[in-house]
Amino acid sequence: MHRRTFVRNMCLGGLATFALPRVTFAQVKQAGRFVFVLLRGGFDGLAAVVPYGDPDYRALRGVMAFEDSDLVTLDDTFALAPGLAPFRELWEQQELVVLHAMAIPYRTRSHFDGQAILETGIDRPMGSADGWLNRLLQVMPGERSGIAIASGLPLSMTGPVEVRTWSPTQLGVVDDGYLDRLSVLYRSDRTLQGRFEAAIQQQATVGEELMAAQGARRDGVAPLMGATARILKQETGPNIAAIEFSGWDTHANQGLTGGALDRLLGQLAEGLVSFRTEMGSAWTNTTVVVMTEFGRTARPNGTRGTDHGTAGAGFLIGPKVARSTVFADWPGLSSAALFEGRDVKPTLDTRAVLKAAIAGTFDLTPAQADRVFPSSSAVPGAYDLMG
Amino acid sequence: MDAALRALNRFGLGARPGERARLRDPRGWLKAQLEGGPPLVAPPAKGAPLAIRDAIRAYRQAGQANRIQQRSPQQTEPQQLRQERQVARRSLVEIVSAEATVSLEARVQSERPFVERLVAFWSNHLCISTAAKVLVVPLAGSYERDVIRPHVLGRFEDMVLASARHPAMLVYLDNFQSIGPNSRGAARRRGRGGRGLNENYARELLELHTLGVNGGYGQQDVEELAKILTGWTVTGLQDGAATFGFAFQNPLHEPGARSVLGARYSDGGVAQGEKVIRDLCRHPSTSRFVATKLVTHFVADDPPAPAIERVAQVFRNSEGDLRAVSTALVNLEEAWSPESKKFRTPQDWMVAALRALDVHEVGPMTVATMRQLRQPLWAPQAPKGFADSMQDWADPDALLNRAELARTLARRLRGNVDDPRTLLEAIDVPAADPLRALLADASIAATDRVALALAGPAFQWR
Repeated sequence: MHRRTFVRNMCLGGLATFALPRVTFAQVKQAGRFVFVLLRGGFDGLAAVVPYGDPDYRALRGVMAFEDSDLVTLDDTFALAPGLAPFRELWEQQELVVLHAMAIPYRTRSHFDGQAILETGIDRPMGSADGWLNRLLQVMPGERSGIAIASGLPLSMTGPVEVRTWSPTQLGVVDDGYLDRLSVLYRSDRTLQGRFEAAIQQQATVGEELMAAQGARRDGVAPLMGATARILKQETGPNIAAIEFSGWDTHANQGLTGGALDRLLGQLAEGLVSFRTEMGSAWTNTTVVVMTEFGRTARPNGTRGTDHGTAGAGFLIGPKVARSTVFADWPGLSSAALFEGRDVKPTLDTRAVLKAAIAGTFDLTPAQADRVFPSSSAVPGAYDLMG
Repeated sequence: MDAALRALNRFGLGARPGERARLRDPRGWLKAQLEGGPPLVAPPAKGAPLAIRDAIRAYRQAGQANRIQQRSPQQTEPQQLRQERQVARRSLVEIVSAEATVSLEARVQSERPFVERLVAFWSNHLCISTAAKVLVVPLAGSYERDVIRPHVLGRFEDMVLASARHPAMLVYLDNFQSIGPNSRGAARRRGRGGRGLNENYARELLELHTLGVNGGYGQQDVEELAKILTGWTVTGLQDGAATFGFAFQNPLHEPGARSVLGARYSDGGVAQGEKVIRDLCRHPSTSRFVATKLVTHFVADDPPAPAIERVAQVFRNSEGDLRAVSTALVNLEEAWSPESKKFRTPQDWMVAALRALDVHEVGPMTVATMRQLRQPLWAPQAPKGFADSMQDWADPDALLNRAELARTLARRLRGNVDDPRTLLEAIDVPAADPLRALLADASIAATDRVALALAGPAFQWR
């Protein structure tokens, strides 16, 4: 990875780009909020968005096929896994686009490559080390800034625009002159100075009482999504957040209703619904995208799990979507329809969805969206998804 | 940075009081550490093989009792069963806590800190994770002790083979449950919802342990390798075997010759897998992949290509002799250049702080702290292990965490430091750095001065 130069602008609430001086922008506060939720590990699209109406579903999934009665029906073909039942509310409010047979633009079954493609937003590995969310911060107009809710800066956020990071501080909080003196020391370190100042500022912005009010499991989905909402909904808060959850690499015993994967899906759905509640009136301008690096094998493996596959499912959520729908050019699950005889065939490019999501949230033109995803002009954005 | 400090910090785990002054020949000191036997440690009482076996059995029995109970309509004492399972689970965690203490004390106390760094490096390269599966929890300490330590100055392929056979790895990456689709075992299990091929370990063996993601293998190679490795499983879990260990079970092994990376492997049972693993370790891509990781770890986040090539060459010429490879790292001019800087990972920062504070024994709190710093021992989130660059660790939040933790440590261990200024021995700070003035400022509480030394920017680098 390249060593990067970060130039930090300490103006309140705003973090300017390195490449372009602030004065070139009209200083209009950008109202839109966008959250990119990355499920690391490759979550099983067929176990989350179940094609119960597909004639080959039952035979293909065998012991890992859901009972119809356990599912949350969306249409004649698709239903949500029982754990995703909290999404029903979003669906009824016309705020949920369910994505299926979707994949990154590059065929790989490696977590590392797959996440790199999804996070850089380019169509091959090693092409660029910068993240697409960082490019979005460079391209979009108005006052904007990004934050990563993660244990370090994720690849999606790396790039010339400085991005803050935040995670619940688990150690005791210190105040007084100690941090001031430490700030003096950090001023002599050009690499770390901006990061330390950002930490101090972030601590002040979010407030320690925030986490004090949270439950015992601070790294759970709902507490983290709740904290994210509190950060984003502030008037001067960041516009773009990246958040990630792992544990989706279900090679063995992923289970059915109430099983290991379904419980994870339940936490995810509850977390997203609580995020929506916590956002309050700011939810009106908010869009959330949930994606993973790849789907999993269509058939169960020998250990009641699934191995790394190709196309999978995802979600596009928010009041700015045109209406609730399952957006999929469904390839079917017959042996002939499977990709390389084993995975769901990809018929939807993640970038088509992401371009539409950011354009709809931040009023970008297709040309601007294309700049966020270089070499994607042959893949038109699915702009009709957004209202 | 002077060469002594560079040797202590760059290759070691930070200076203990007085260590810098004693160090006359930094490179010689590092090379001397590579002489002699492997850095073995004795297992804690809880980590004895029989203790591990019993704890695992108790845990599995509690689980089975629970499952049977749930199926029966008259649930008599679910509360009691839940408690039994919790107790069993706690005894697994007690094993890993005892093991972690042994491992961390080795780092904090070591007179061969370079070798301990190598142990940590290889442990992370071939990582297992207690975060993934409960069964890995009691085995993680044994994994580092029995797989990594004996081979850290030996041959790479012996280490990879030992890892392939250790129950922790077999469980972590699912190979223990992988069954050849055409094996006798599969035929017997058919119709009973039986298990089959699982390619998880085979893929990570190629992508993360040997060739690297761009090392030139394809999906076909993954599947062939997975079939070769069927039958590599564990004993002592379901059968009545005395201890928990490796077993090759031919009935589960996929019969037949296989082809991996263009080479043909005739079916020789367990020998087929041993042969292919040794070949993967000797593959040119492996030497480059491993050298890149080592140079990234010991030299710079942007590893200089000539340095990688020199280390890769030694790796190839010595057939993966890790003593020779480690010596080559010390011989890299790039590792000693003042420009190159590495940000200390949370574990390395913590250990360096404890060494600077003259600590010898670590308690359970140290283990817990590593979790708070997001680098819990033997529990990375994914099989690629913990990241190794400034970009990955030096986020604002992490710096604040270190600031807070430094103060906690200083409060607890203030008594170990007579004069905060002595900490400057272990830290690379220029003459004009404000840290010198702060540490001498008697108007600041001594505890805060100790904390400032550990939390300041200079101590974050190695």
